[in-house]
Amino acid sequence: MTSLVSAHHVSKQFGSIRAVDDVSFEIEKGKIVGLIGPNGAGKTTLLKAVLGLTDCDGELSVLGLDPFRQRKELMQNICFIADVAVLPRWIRVNQLLDFVGQTHPNFSRARADKLLAETKVRSRAKVRELSKGMVTQLHLAIIMSIDAKLLVLDEPTLGLDIIFRKEFYANLLNDYFDEERTILITTHQVEEIERLLTDVMFINDGRILLDATMDSLSDGYVQLLASGDKAAAARKLGPIAENELFGKSVLLFEGRGRDELAPYGELHTPSVADLFVAKVKGARA
Amino acid sequence: MIAHQLTLIRREIWEHPAIWVSPLVIALIVSMLTLTGQVSVSAFGEAVDLAIVGAQNADEVHRAAIMTGALTAIASIFAFGAWIVMIFYSLDALYAERKDKSILFWRSLPITDAETVVSKLLTALFVIPVVTVVVVMATHLLVLVLTSIWVKFQGGQALHLIWGSARLGDIWAACVACALLLPLWMSPLIGWFLFVSTLTKRAPFLTAVLPILLLPMLEKMLPMRSSFFIDAIYVRTFQPPLFDLSGFERVEQQIEEQFYSGLPGTEGVSLLKHLDVAGYIASPSLWLGMVVCGIFVVGAIYVRRYRDESY
Repeated sequence: MTSLVSAHHVSKQFGSIRAVDDVSFEIEKGKIVGLIGPNGAGKTTLLKAVLGLTDCDGELSVLGLDPFRQRKELMQNICFIADVAVLPRWIRVNQLLDFVGQTHPNFSRARADKLLAETKVRSRAKVRELSKGMVTQLHLAIIMSIDAKLLVLDEPTLGLDIIFRKEFYANLLNDYFDEERTILITTHQVEEIERLLTDVMFINDGRILLDATMDSLSDGYVQLLASGDKAAAARKLGPIAENELFGKSVLLFEGRGRDELAPYGELHTPSVADLFVAKVKGARA
Repeated sequence: MIAHQLTLIRREIWEHPAIWVSPLVIALIVSMLTLTGQVSVSAFGEAVDLAIVGAQNADEVHRAAIMTGALTAIASIFAFGAWIVMIFYSLDALYAERKDKSILFWRSLPITDAETVVSKLLTALFVIPVVTVVVVMATHLLVLVLTSIWVKFQGGQALHLIWGSARLGDIWAACVACALLLPLWMSPLIGWFLFVSTLTKRAPFLTAVLPILLLPMLEKMLPMRSSFFIDAIYVRTFQPPLFDLSGFERVEQQIEEQFYSGLPGTEGVSLLKHLDVAGYIASPSLWLGMVVCGIFVVGAIYVRRYRDESY
């Protein structure tokens, strides 16, 4: 496996605030990595460092390049959608496609035209005349027509309705993703992307709380639904989080075997959202 | 690199239609004024006849000088308009993309910040003047055609009076020379506007203009009462060493006087001869100005490249 992104002790300081605090991780080719964190956790700062939009301390290598100093080379093989609508509003769709076609060596106009033909986006329309969902469709069509090694999505579906969101991820998976490509994605709507991810990273207060493959989550973390005495007994095994659901206790365990916990009640694999809440609360406690 | 520049410059023309709309609007106004002028003058039938007879009797040099003066006056209206477009374009060029956040999209493409800023500098210093000069030529032709038709209706010999006196090749060559050379003289101001446009958070016009207004005043308040900024900004700007004419007023008179002075090199009525291109290019002030422009442009590239804008 080759590392596409490799971070060693990466930090970024704004005044007295450490937005990213001594972070180390590797992202390998062919993965879909979810970067999950609350607002102000340092997600965007970390993504900006990966995209070469901001300088940082420590060692950061993306596609073997120094992202901040070799931005132009990097941008030939990276695409990104930021969390704010960033397509220029004055431009016409066909002008935008012409422009990207002439400046990006890995862009396929035929593919973009084909993708857009399936939407309501007309090629003579100006971006300001399109709805929010259509602007995202347009942006995604451009991104999907670029043969890039790494795609970075920062809250790509923010403000879109559920139909557009579902469609967005379906297109991404069916028409874009393959083992040659890698996607790094952040979102608040964890539930929607959970089944898409191969890997997940939790970030809070600039630190990585969890960096694991989705497969390993079901081995490492177990959710136990128990009541009464059984719950009290299970509590002695040291759950990392606990809450109540319909009068039952929901206990989350890390590193406990399923066989060990089975006698106490019903076992589940925790959702990423549950795990995330537990980890963040645990870190704050 | 060059293909990239052409693509980037085309984007500037898409984003700022004022580059070609403004000269067209001026062309429309000039043509309308020519038409209405002719129609209203036609009411004074006898006086017009006399004027045409006068023109027919006047000598070649006088007619050519008057025609050159008139066409120069039209061109200078466009020059003034182009200067205003250049100012507002360069103030907007690196500001609008930050305001609408599209800078994040542009910067997601493999284009360097230097390429982008240079394309905006070239648009201001080269594209705007060249588009303007093309419209100037078209307007000259249109005004001459309108005037010929009018003269014909008044019973004059349009071909002889109008087309025989308009030294279009010479005037257009002078216009092209001015369009290519004069913006270089203005380049320090354009560089400053581009720099402000990438730096300021709001109100680029005020931010750019206030120092230009205040610095000379502050300087006068200092004990030494120096006038460095007044000289560098105001005196210099309005005195490009390109013309041997004193300003644009009474061009025809100056051309005629020169012609009759009998000095060597004044044969034939020619606007081009009044441009001192060699002296202009050799002027240290021109090169110093371009260095100042270069410093501002490097500053603009640096800010666009390294500023960590919250997104």
